Amino acid sequence: MGKIIVDELIVANQELAFEKREKGKRAAELVIANKELVFQNQEKEKRAEELIIANKELVFQNAEKEKRTAELIVANKELVFQNEEKEKRAAELIIANKELVFQNEEKEKRAAELVIANKELVFQNQEKENRAAELIISTLANNKEREKAEEYLERLAAIVEFSDDAIISKSLDGTIKSWNKSGEKMFGYTAEEAIGKNISLIIPPEFIDEEKKILKRIGNDEIIEHFETVRIKKNGKLFHVSITISPLKDNSGIITGASKIIRDITLSKKYEEQLIEINKDLIIQNKEKEKRSMQLEEANKELESFTYSVSHDLRAPLRAINGFTQVMVEDYIDQLDEEARIVLEDILANSIKMGQLIDNLLAFSRLGKQRVSLVQVNIKEIVASAIAELKKDEPNRILHITIKKLEEIKGDRNMLKQVFINLISNAFKYTGKKQDAEIEIGSYRENDQCIYYVKDNGAGFDMQYYDKLFGVFQRLHSSNEFEGTGVGLAIVQRIIAKHSGKVWADGKVNEGACFFISLPDFPDEFDKQ
Amino acid sequence: MTDKDVQILLVEDNKADAMLTMRALKKHNLANNVIHLIDGAQALDYIFGTGEYEGRNIDNKPRVIFLDLKMPKIDGLEVLRIIKRDERTKLIPVVMMTSSKEEADIVESHKLGVNSYVVKPVGFDNFSKIIADLGFYWLVINNTPQ
Repeated sequence: MGKIIVDELIVANQELAFEKREKGKRAAELVIANKELVFQNQEKEKRAEELIIANKELVFQNAEKEKRTAELIVANKELVFQNEEKEKRAAELIIANKELVFQNEEKEKRAAELVIANKELVFQNQEKENRAAELIISTLANNKEREKAEEYLERLAAIVEFSDDAIISKSLDGTIKSWNKSGEKMFGYTAEEAIGKNISLIIPPEFIDEEKKILKRIGNDEIIEHFETVRIKKNGKLFHVSITISPLKDNSGIITGASKIIRDITLSKKYEEQLIEINKDLIIQNKEKEKRSMQLEEANKELESFTYSVSHDLRAPLRAINGFTQVMVEDYIDQLDEEARIVLEDILANSIKMGQLIDNLLAFSRLGKQRVSLVQVNIKEIVASAIAELKKDEPNRILHITIKKLEEIKGDRNMLKQVFINLISNAFKYTGKKQDAEIEIGSYRENDQCIYYVKDNGAGFDMQYYDKLFGVFQRLHSSNEFEGTGVGLAIVQRIIAKHSGKVWADGKVNEGACFFISLPDFPDEFDKQ
Repeated sequence: MTDKDVQILLVEDNKADAMLTMRALKKHNLANNVIHLIDGAQALDYIFGTGEYEGRNIDNKPRVIFLDLKMPKIDGLEVLRIIKRDERTKLIPVVMMTSSKEEADIVESHKLGVNSYVVKPVGFDNFSKIIADLGFYWLVINNTPQ
């Protein structure tokens, strides 16, 4: 127990000792702090004194600033006043400027007017030109403008001098006053020769009256434009001219003469006359053509009614011939000998043949009236059906038919079918006597045309008679050799012509024939007769 | 043959054609009740009971008319027009018989209401066959309102 207290006491003592040491330390620290404070106070006092001095200074400065402000206000007022003055002056200047601009414009206008006036003057005569130049030069105050004006005048003078047109002036009594280079070229008189002479120098005697009328019109202040007449050269040659005449006036506006611009229109006149001549010819030709086409139309109509009659009126008696012959054969055969029977058979066969001729002729003539109705046509199909039909008629024939590529084309289906039936049936017919009959049908393109061909190794034909090949009722084989009426190829040609296409052929006797037709991709004329 | 029995009215100006037609009909036993008139005017008189046929009972109609197109005075087209325009006769079948295959005639005939349009062939064999076919068709095969 006692021990614990002792221990505590020791501890307490130790603490106290520690605290005492601490207090000592702090006291020392406080002394230092005090010294510091004293020093700080002294410093503060110093600063306070400095501040007082600074304050005084500031007060002084403020006073100065106020002074300056007052001065500035005064200065500002002055400036405002000055500005107002300047604005006033600016406004005045703007007005002045406008006035100047206006004056300038006026001057320009006047200058332009003067240029125009001068142009006229230039045309009048050289003397006036000089004056006009002086006028322009004195009017245009600026040197540059003056130079330009001079240049311009020179140019105008050059234009007058080197113009292709003769430019001449004359007084009201007809005295020539000026004469340019073209006048010299056109009429053959030099300026020296012409000036001072009367204008009748260049007017053919028969046109003198015309000049009087012109002078009268000029006197009325009229301008005569592109007046076409005839003038005479120094060498006496007359030529066509187009003249533009305008009055010339002096400064007070009194007409004193006229300026003439004369153009040689001999060439254009010649062309014009040629054109008129050509036109006349064309009109005559047109009339001729109209007449001819009317005649053709007339002939066509006649032909139409003729074919109608042929087909209608010729068939009836033919029917009678055939019919009554048949009656003879049927009713009286027992009373007839062999020869009579043969004769009657011939009459029957020939009347049938004539019927066919009439039918074919009719078909051909009817084709002329028929219009082409345009559709996409499958030629392959048409060829196949034509072959099938022809084979039906001769089921026992052995034929080698090769069908190559066949292009589709635009055309009239029925007409094109007729074409291929005719061509292929010809190939069938004319290979009839061949052992190995061969037929080839195909097509190929050439430019914007499609060319079809039908080729066979049959009887062929002699190229010598080529021009008869496509004629109506023209045949290159006798009926005994090969039957036919001679219309098939004529029909082919007519149909293809209606399609704006062409037909041609190639052949050799006993070796075969090849028929070609060309059809355009875009047939344009469909009303071809 | 009484008026009532007429089955075929043949209107034909061409004597040869008429003879051959009759022959063809006869050959096929169709010629018993045929009456032949020689032009359009006579045909109209017969059909409408006028002129030389004044007083004929027009209710007795032929069962078919074989009408030639090209005839003097009144042609086949005109006869056809009149028959087809009249309520009393418009139901009588009319066969236009002609020599030519003129498209304009074919169109016009059909517009006027023709019942058949036949082109007479040149060959008698064919001609005879066509006449027989027509006779059989209009008298035997076809039914016409009574």
